[in-house]
Amino acid sequence: MGDGIEKHKGPANVHDYRTLLLVAIFVFTVPLWAHFIPGSVIHMDIVNLMVLSGIYACAVVGLNLLVGYAGQISLGHAAFFGIGAYSVAILCTNFAWFPTWLGIAIGASLAGIIGWLVGVPVLKLKGHYLAMATLGLGEIIFILFRELTGLTKGTVGITSIPPLSLFGLRFDSDFKLYFLVWGVVMLMMLIIINIIRSRVGRGLRALHSSEVAAEAMGVNTSKYKTKVFVLSAVFAGVGGGLFAMFQRYVNPESFHFTLSILFITMVVVGGMGNLWGGIVGAIVLTFLPSVITALPEWIPVFPSSLQNFGNYTLVLYGLLLIVFMIFLPQGVAYGLSRGASYASTGARRLRDIWNARKYEGD
Amino acid sequence: MITGLAVAAVIAASLIFKGSTGLQWILSGLTVGSIYALIAMGFSVIYASTRVINFAQGEFAMLGGMLIYTFSGRAHIPTALGFVLAVIIVTLLGAGFERVAIHPLRKSNVITMIIVTIGFSIFLRAVAKWVWGSDTVPVASFSGDKPIRIFGASLVPQSFWVFGFTALAVVLVFLFFNRTLLGKGMRAAAGNADAASLVGVNPSTTSLTAWTLAAALGAAAGIVIAPIKFVAIDVGVMLGLKGFSAAVLGGLGSAPGAVVGGLVLGILETMVAGVFPSGYKDAVAFLILILVLLVRPQGLLGKRESVKV
Repeated sequence: MGDGIEKHKGPANVHDYRTLLLVAIFVFTVPLWAHFIPGSVIHMDIVNLMVLSGIYACAVVGLNLLVGYAGQISLGHAAFFGIGAYSVAILCTNFAWFPTWLGIAIGASLAGIIGWLVGVPVLKLKGHYLAMATLGLGEIIFILFRELTGLTKGTVGITSIPPLSLFGLRFDSDFKLYFLVWGVVMLMMLIIINIIRSRVGRGLRALHSSEVAAEAMGVNTSKYKTKVFVLSAVFAGVGGGLFAMFQRYVNPESFHFTLSILFITMVVVGGMGNLWGGIVGAIVLTFLPSVITALPEWIPVFPSSLQNFGNYTLVLYGLLLIVFMIFLPQGVAYGLSRGASYASTGARRLRDIWNARKYEGD
Repeated sequence: MITGLAVAAVIAASLIFKGSTGLQWILSGLTVGSIYALIAMGFSVIYASTRVINFAQGEFAMLGGMLIYTFSGRAHIPTALGFVLAVIIVTLLGAGFERVAIHPLRKSNVITMIIVTIGFSIFLRAVAKWVWGSDTVPVASFSGDKPIRIFGASLVPQSFWVFGFTALAVVLVFLFFNRTLLGKGMRAAAGNADAASLVGVNPSTTSLTAWTLAAALGAAAGIVIAPIKFVAIDVGVMLGLKGFSAAVLGGLGSAPGAVVGGLVLGILETMVAGVFPSGYKDAVAFLILILVLLVRPQGLLGKRESVKV
């Protein structure tokens, strides 16, 4: 698992903060221009998909810290996401007066507490045994969502969850929720950047390359692993709470094993251990099905026989996942940064050539 | 020793739960457990030679089941011929996937390869949905449906086919790994890939053989269980999950471990279902699984690996 980890040069790297600012500027201007692209041209709702991407990103950036930096796998993060979602759903539908933001806070704390209770024993396991244990944990919590019908209404699910309101503002449209969700994601990124820069972050990298060596150097590995696990559980819980208020409806199926797998896939497709991998992976895999569905509309020559092929979305999704991994094993975020550096090198070359020409002309 | 303990536990359980009920649970548990064992062997064989957890292993079983439905239920081909055809088709798919995706990625990190198998499982499920739709389909038993009574417990005849095929598969896999040059080479490569390749074990052949074998085992499991459990295109997810659990429980990478893990998980599940409300059956089974792992982190038959710095 050692490949694809960013090498951080020196502690005082303002580079990440600058990138965070650029990413934030880009993300927050998306609704402004997306608004002017008519739906008949792109055949998808960019703002709506971006809100969902942001919600998934909450869970994925934390998971990336756990998998990519600390080197610990989890196949059960859908459970923490679900705990966040169900906390909001149960509290805010049973008690009309309950402040919705407090629902999210309680959900996230509960996810954190359960993450700690489970993390302490389970993180002693390694590799695939840890994967198995977290998978089992996810399965157990999924079954509790389904079977505790008095609390969760079972497979029927909980409907009419109120939208989030904060300081008198009601986040009842995608457009409003967009800024809140991405604001939360940016805040999480700020926290993660600071962690990576700190003593804890250096400890985590040491732990990733060799647990025994890290321990010998005085890194309290089990404490660090548990901390990151709890943090990623809390982030996933926040994401789940936002998810409940975005969908206004929850049922157990949304939080099954497949969601845990989706989270891990987002981490890897985006770029494991790449600071921006989580966000990129969440956006790419949330948009992918819609992009594939819209393909026949974009490309008129798209074979009509395929248009009737109702499941080509998933067939292509599976194939693209394989293709991504074969051609971009370090993740899309890495590909983007390489692309950007090629572009800037290219631009510099062009400028040099241009300048050389000018001097020749003189 | 562990096997002895497991057998003792089974006997003790059958005494505690008084005769027929206990026996019934154990027989039903062994039926499901055999299927888990076959799928778990697939996981272990691939893991031992490539360190990859193949998330498409359950889909091999699903495809086996759907194909036998088409061959014997729709096309009325004799079951034996249908069985062979289905296994061949799934095996070719598995081997083809290894050549197209896993082999080119052999140098990249393991998580990347695992995600590729997730992509493959989504792909297979989608293609299956396109071909067969999402309805649950029945598959006729190989030899009638009249339950057979043994000491007060009753068992469908298909269960004996399941036991028979599992036993046959276990023996064949054992002979392959212990009696053939290729199989011995694969065991050597699982122990130390570099040393094995120095003495002429070709890693490319090893990986291809492992995938071929795993696909065949998965397909066979899906086919023999189809008449008991019915088939739909989404059964692969749960079968894969249970197969993986069984492989880990027994000790990942160990073929005997996979068999023990599968049988123990099957019996455990059936007993839990007999005692707890049926909805919680999987939750309790997973809880016990986690507890077992906490006590024996290397699985029931796995060897504790020494950590190198």
